[in-house]
Amino acid sequence: MAKVFVLVEHRRGSIREATFECVTLARELQTAAGLEPAAVVIGSGVAPFAETLAAYLPETIVVDDPSLEHFRFETYAAVLRDLIERETPLLVIAPHSAFGMELVPRLSAELARPCATDCVAVGMDGGALAATRSVYNGKIDERLAFAPAGGYFATVRAGSYAPADPAGTGAIRAHACPAPPAAWRTEHRGYRETAAGAVDITQAPLLLAIGRGIKDAENIPKAQALADRLGAVLACSRPVVDKKWLGKERQVGTSGRTVKPKVYLALGISGAFQHIAGIKGPGVFIAVNRDPKAPVFRAADFGVVEDMFKIIDALAEKLGAK
Amino acid sequence: MEILVCVKRVPDTADAEVALRPDGRGIREEDLAFGINEWDNYAVEEAIRLKEKHGGAVTVATIGPAESEDVLRRCLAMGADDAVMIDEASFRGADPYGIARGLAGLARRKAYDLVLAGALAGDDGYGMTGPVLAGYLGWPHATLVTSIEVEGKKIAVARELEGGLEEILAVELPAVLTIQTGINEPRYVSIMGIRKVRSKDIPVLAPADIGVGAGEVGENANLLRSLGLSTPPAGAEAVMLKGAPAEVAQRILDIVKERGGVA
Ligand SMILES: Cc1cc2nc3c(=O)[nH]c(=O)nc-3n(C[C@H](O)[C@H](O)[C@H](O)COP(=O)(O)OP(=O)(O)OC[C@H]3O[C@@H](n4cnc5c(N)ncnc54)[C@H](O)[C@@H]3O)c2cc1C
Ligand SMILES: Nc1ncnc2c1ncn2[C@@H]1O[C@H](COP(=O)(O)O)[C@@H](O)[C@H]1O
Repeated sequence: MAKVFVLVEHRRGSIREATFECVTLARELQTAAGLEPAAVVIGSGVAPFAETLAAYLPETIVVDDPSLEHFRFETYAAVLRDLIERETPLLVIAPHSAFGMELVPRLSAELARPCATDCVAVGMDGGALAATRSVYNGKIDERLAFAPAGGYFATVRAGSYAPADPAGTGAIRAHACPAPPAAWRTEHRGYRETAAGAVDITQAPLLLAIGRGIKDAENIPKAQALADRLGAVLACSRPVVDKKWLGKERQVGTSGRTVKPKVYLALGISGAFQHIAGIKGPGVFIAVNRDPKAPVFRAADFGVVEDMFKIIDALAEKLGAK
Repeated sequence: MEILVCVKRVPDTADAEVALRPDGRGIREEDLAFGINEWDNYAVEEAIRLKEKHGGAVTVATIGPAESEDVLRRCLAMGADDAVMIDEASFRGADPYGIARGLAGLARRKAYDLVLAGALAGDDGYGMTGPVLAGYLGWPHATLVTSIEVEGKKIAVARELEGGLEEILAVELPAVLTIQTGINEPRYVSIMGIRKVRSKDIPVLAPADIGVGAGEVGENANLLRSLGLSTPPAGAEAVMLKGAPAEVAQRILDIVKERGGVA
């Protein structure tokens, strides 16, 4: 039976959540397409990860070698070229993360096996694999088929599938690490934290988050003043940090912080998945955006189609009158 | 340092209505504003800064329709030394593999030390052209780069990971990097600046000039084949709060209070 591989993403001693979302997709494809799922764990001292994955999928393949301690394209690709050639999986899936983006597209080009990146769904369409991607800022969906090749790749957008629960006990099998080339051209030199700062948005019960809709640096004090009056902590989307209008420690999203406030009030934020993925927990999400088609309204509990500055002023007025 | 920067002209769709063409195979472009892809703007700025520090030259390149010339002129006004276009006709409908083939052909025309691309294009959002291009060139790569330090024949780059974490990678040159937003603050381009580069020659290369044969790229050669576009299904939409701003503001405050967010 043809196989579907899930590339296990782990970093600094733990498996990343997105892996279990890919497990859910692999299980779906087992049902829909009869593919046999297997997890692929690559790293150094990763036996415990293999144990974990064995509780999720019928088979886990482990490639364990000191040279694989930190993820790098070069070392992982060497392993995967060898493994894919030997085992010819029909599909290899990985999270569309810093890991998946670095590893999978290039590997797919080298193996001439097409890759659909950032998929929100992968399934069968008339007997062949097909992927759905969200394009043009989440306003359009595109369906993609793969040109016939021996096998395919897909990277999966965070939050597209619910993380899987454990089910059963699978087999664990070791695969030998191929011999290294004479020289590597990249070298891992370590990690660096960038989001440290005085403000901790992860603990605030009320977050007022502003996006590119704030338009100009000179509007920031207005938002800060409203946050102060509300008793909220000011947070933001990435472009506000990129422009250096607020510090990185205030950024919500995949490359910023994950927050779980009781209320998240978003002004002028479009709702890119990298932003939405940073909002967790059972709290209520209110979005204000002047564009009625903004994808943020598909994630929020309450929506307001309005100029955010009118809402800022109206809120300030109400609070001032108290 | 000889640097090639790949730039793409994309529509601004974050703040605009996006409608499908009647054939469902593309979007209506008439009412959209186009400009340089956000990530590419940071890439061009970074290339110019590297040149200013270490010498060399910056070439910007695109595969796109004739209108893409505006984007290239903007890059020249920022401080790029040369611009080149690849005639789009044979690349029409090409997937990122096809685009990367064209860009690889272009990268082989000169001894570049570095090829920069955006981490992502704001329209199709594949996030794959850069690393695929590196694969075709056989050069090392790093994606989602947020800083670059030159160390002789090597560079040290920071790659953005999740949760405010970066990893530092040493990469041998020549290399392909994809640039993440926020790596720098792109300089402002004035109308005057664009006027100054108005008459600069921008060569348009044919596929043969970059070693791409007829039929090797374009829709029929694609590894990824579009089955069509659609507008996303309605799904779970938010409950819309309607009324004048004052009424809406009151509703928001009520919700905040009810849910224990204080206020
Ligand atoms: C690897 C990677 C990691 C990323 N990580 C993050 C992350 O951690 N966090 C993050 O936020 N992003 C992240 N991004 C960027 C993300 O893809 C989006 O580009 C970003 O979230 C967009 O921010 P925005 O919604 O503020 O801006 P835009 O998408 O430009 O949206 C602005 C919105 O404001 C609305 N608007 C404009 N003016 C007004 C007004 N006056 N009143 C009301 N509404 C108005 C517009 O209609 C629009 O919907 C990441 C991207 C990549 C590639
Ligand atoms: N047609 C093109 N011409 C030049 N560069 C491109 C083109 N398409 C994509 N790129 C480059 O590849 C990057 C990523 O695009 P994508 O893989 O489509 O998300 C862009 O930011 C550009 O740097």
